[in-house]
Amino acid sequence: MNPKRCAACKYLRRRCPKDCIFAPYFPPNDPAKFACIHRIYGAGNVSKMLQQLPDQTRAEAVESLCFEAKCRVDDPVYGCVGIIHLLQTQIQNAQNELAKTQAEVAVAQTKLSQTQNSDF
Amino acid sequence: MSSSGNPSSSGGGGGPCGACKFLRRKCVAGCIFAPYFDSEQGAAHFAAVHKVFGASNVSKLLLHIPEHKRPDAVVSICFEAQARLRDPIYGCVSHIVSLQQQVVSLQTELSYLQAHLATLELPQPMAPVSSSGSLQALSITDLPTISPSLYDLSSFFEPVMSSTWAMQQQPRPSDHVFGVPSSSSIIGGGGELQALAREFIQGGQMPAQPSLGTGGSASTVIKRE
Repeated sequence: MNPKRCAACKYLRRRCPKDCIFAPYFPPNDPAKFACIHRIYGAGNVSKMLQQLPDQTRAEAVESLCFEAKCRVDDPVYGCVGIIHLLQTQIQNAQNELAKTQAEVAVAQTKLSQTQNSDF
Repeated sequence: MSSSGNPSSSGGGGGPCGACKFLRRKCVAGCIFAPYFDSEQGAAHFAAVHKVFGASNVSKLLLHIPEHKRPDAVVSICFEAQARLRDPIYGCVSHIVSLQQQVVSLQTELSYLQAHLATLELPQPMAPVSSSGSLQALSITDLPTISPSLYDLSSFFEPVMSSTWAMQQQPRPSDHVFGVPSSSSIIGGGGELQALAREFIQGGQMPAQPSLGTGGSASTVIKRE
């Protein structure tokens, strides 16, 4: 077997052709990356998705697919939607805290101006 | 998605579920997809799921999830599939990055404001005011309705991202995509996840795609609380 097979072809136990669509994005030193993506999407689906994209965008697409696959493996029920939900909760909490702090600033400014007025 | 959640709706006399309709196969009793993909809108949703994940992968995924969690899983899977079809490069990751930027922006704004509050509260040349003193400390509850202009502190700081608030003003889409059941018995969590999925399916907030850089690890993007 060709020792320079990419991680995908190694995982799939097949020959790695010169124009292998996975080879640029799944180096042989990181087998877990392809294993994760294959588990969630399947090699065929990933191959089809990559083929429909321009060359220069495929690296980003693979990274985002890996991220989503990792999220799904970590959280089979919610996947990365769980992260979205968590972030939206954080945003809501931050907005509430911001509103509260803005009110406190307003109170402090009023207090300060009253103090300054009474000094005169 | 199916609105009944009734296992008896699978196969048999009810006709094929949306998934089996799409796959053009016989919908057997106990079909794993039947409770979640009705024969009308379910077929369209399953088409997206099948294109991105594949029917067998989704089936395996659902089999490993407890039955009471499967409705939520299907909603999130459909959401991811739709997001990926809408944005083949970044899927829903672009939205995650955008939300993360919002969080950072809000936290920065909050830090500025807290620092400003600290400077306002620092100078106290007079003796501390006791509760029985002539000067009564103001509390928020004592204030009348605060005018909106008091909230605009942007002149004190560097220009803050106005897009943070602008993004929150987007109109909410109507909720008729999934054929949402009237009861929330199928979707747990009070329907929040479903509402979220509906928003994105309707094309709510999918901003420009930022660069992801290297590494697709979830842990490098977000810290779970």
